[in-house]
Amino acid sequence: MKVFYSSPWVPVEWIEAHGLQPCGVWFAEDLGCGVLPLSAGVCAFSEAVLRFAETHHDSAVIFTTACDQMRRSFDAFTGSQPVRAFLFNLPATWQSPVALRIFRTEVERLGRFLQVHGGHAPTAKDLAQIIERRSQSRKCLLELAPRCSARQYAEAIARFHWDGSVCVPDHPPSPSSRAIPLAIVGGPLTASQWGLLDLIEAAGTRIVLNATESGERSLLPPFRLEGFSDDPIGAVARGYFENCADVFQRPNTRLYSWLVERLIARGVRGIVLWVHTGCDLWRAEAQTLRETFRLPVLLLEADEVPGGSPREANRIQAFVETFK
Amino acid sequence: MTIAPRKLSLAEWDDRYDQLVRAGLKEPGYGGPLRRHVVKESDLRLQHLRFDNSAAALRLWNFLLTENERLHQARARGDKIVGTMKDLGTVPVMAYSLPGVRAFYPDGAWWTPCLMECSDHLLQQAEALGIDASFCPVRAMLPAFLNGEHFPRPDLLICSTGAVCDDFSAIAQRLETLGHSILWWEMPRRRQPDPREASCALPGNLLAPQVQVDWVREELQRVAQSLGELAGQPLDDNTLTDGIRKANEVRHLLQALRTTVYSAPGAPLPALEMLVAEMLAIHFCSDRAETVAVLGELLAEAEKRVQQKQFIIDVDAVRIFWVNPVADLRAMNLLEDWGGRVCGSDYMFTHALDLIPENLPPLEALARTALADPMVGSTAERAARIVRECRDFHVEAVVVSRIPGASHCAREGAIIREAVQKALGLPTIELEIPPVCDAMLPTLGSRVQALIETARARRKS
Repeated sequence: MKVFYSSPWVPVEWIEAHGLQPCGVWFAEDLGCGVLPLSAGVCAFSEAVLRFAETHHDSAVIFTTACDQMRRSFDAFTGSQPVRAFLFNLPATWQSPVALRIFRTEVERLGRFLQVHGGHAPTAKDLAQIIERRSQSRKCLLELAPRCSARQYAEAIARFHWDGSVCVPDHPPSPSSRAIPLAIVGGPLTASQWGLLDLIEAAGTRIVLNATESGERSLLPPFRLEGFSDDPIGAVARGYFENCADVFQRPNTRLYSWLVERLIARGVRGIVLWVHTGCDLWRAEAQTLRETFRLPVLLLEADEVPGGSPREANRIQAFVETFK
Repeated sequence: MTIAPRKLSLAEWDDRYDQLVRAGLKEPGYGGPLRRHVVKESDLRLQHLRFDNSAAALRLWNFLLTENERLHQARARGDKIVGTMKDLGTVPVMAYSLPGVRAFYPDGAWWTPCLMECSDHLLQQAEALGIDASFCPVRAMLPAFLNGEHFPRPDLLICSTGAVCDDFSAIAQRLETLGHSILWWEMPRRRQPDPREASCALPGNLLAPQVQVDWVREELQRVAQSLGELAGQPLDDNTLTDGIRKANEVRHLLQALRTTVYSAPGAPLPALEMLVAEMLAIHFCSDRAETVAVLGELLAEAEKRVQQKQFIIDVDAVRIFWVNPVADLRAMNLLEDWGGRVCGSDYMFTHALDLIPENLPPLEALARTALADPMVGSTAERAARIVRECRDFHVEAVVVSRIPGASHCAREGAIIREAVQKALGLPTIELEIPPVCDAMLPTLGSRVQALIETARARRKS
């Protein structure tokens, strides 16, 4: 049975150890295609996940509390189909013992949910193997970044979230040495939106950091496995809890620590901030990103045209021109 | 001398004030004519509001409109000021348990653009700070912190996070980035207990897993520690128990006031004054003892009017349940002008109206109350309470008032309306009320009037 999840902070190793197939929604071709009937203020991604969940009747769907919008999409979904949805409470704080306990409890609760939906009780041995395999895959993916176009890389990461595999692109591009190094930072970037990455690179840039929710930021470092045999659930919970770097966290300094290291190391000269319509959490970061990194920031809002509208193309070209 | 209840304009209140003074009106230190708030504080909106004509209402308004001034005075006297954000009703109970500590909600600055008819330019200043019109008007809080022209800079800032509005969380984070350190505490998203999971009852007929209550209690313990350090004395169980008892005094009064007003055949007090009165629950408008006095007078006035069958809104008015607070206070006047009256409300802090259990260890009691926040649980649970109150107060129609830019408003309206229609078959509408709604009057008016006509037609059928 497929278990669709909508946040990279849902422990997929745990799902897989229950004998079920975790699938990150970002790769799904039928996620958010076409024009969504958004009412005022609804986040386009949360709406897309809701519609997606409604049409995949044979699967379980995991929403998270990472944002109010997704939390309320879960409310909307469970109004009609309560049984096959799970709301994973991701704590916003990370500096108190309570936050880790919340995360751990949610992992345990998720396990019970999975068993109701056909999963089996995981063994520590299986779990350890899955953790090891996925860690290796993430490591491969991290090493792959410089050898792919931005689109190829986004696709490779999304595929990993979809089925756990790592696909090396057949025809890696040879980037121009004159390309402007940019970072894309922000919310989820889905399959139907990858064309945007082509658009950005075609304007004479090279995306050297994909820090969207479904990009490199979602590739966790290897878990600390000391004491694993005594407490495998704890190891899974800590692996995610300690490495989560996202905009919903309070304070959000982990995200900025994660970013600053990479922006400097990769010589990033500008940031494209990718925001879904109705997403307050990312939109509010535009000014802080500018002030913190003293880099030009272009805010791009996900709109109804998958992969970039003429307006977006125009904005991107103008943004890139400012570097020349 | 008995004066019939009536709504007065600000100009009419000038005369009424003189009349009351001549009749020997005794006022607290913050008393005075309402007009001075326009002159001194540029609270221009008062010129477009209509107020209840009682001395009790005068006291309520003066209490509300002098809050910043009273906070500055308290600071000058050496009191410690705590800015508490988002939890709407929990942390202030703790803060006011300690001597020399006052807590207020900087969130309350969201009404400043309304009161000053945007002459304060707070919303434009927020935009310059990176928080544009796609966010809730609570963004006014951000420049208010920085320019210091409204409330005093708090000695301690506390903000609940987790299951809260995205826009608020984002604005608070921006505030911290700009140099205002915040003590964040986690509010988990309330859920139904799983089968065989230990659970406990919360105020408001709710149920939650015991483990969630334990988490909140532990987080509140962290908050208590900080408050104790600020006050220079620990917030121990005895001190907090006493604080809870006094907070419940306010809640008892509000419950009595709501029941008296919302169950009466006509409205003994207007919707606007009731909205302000309910708001006192969350942080006592920075003075707990005075809140008791203000509410006591209002309740006495309402009871007297009910007894004398003197109503400020006629018995024929359509009984409306109102969901969410309005960014423009004038909307409450308008509802009554168009033939409605408020007979039930959920202004997003129903947990601050429920009594805090006094038969439990105090932090446990507060944790349960905090977790009963209608905004941290499912919208279906919020809707269930709305349905119950609609039944209790014989409501005929429901208005879900949207707050521009608020993340919860994007979806909750549809869920609440569906629940109300399914359970009660009542007509419902959604309205969006901006901080100054004058430009939208034709649209708002036609929508509300259509709702009221529909509700009236149902009476006949």
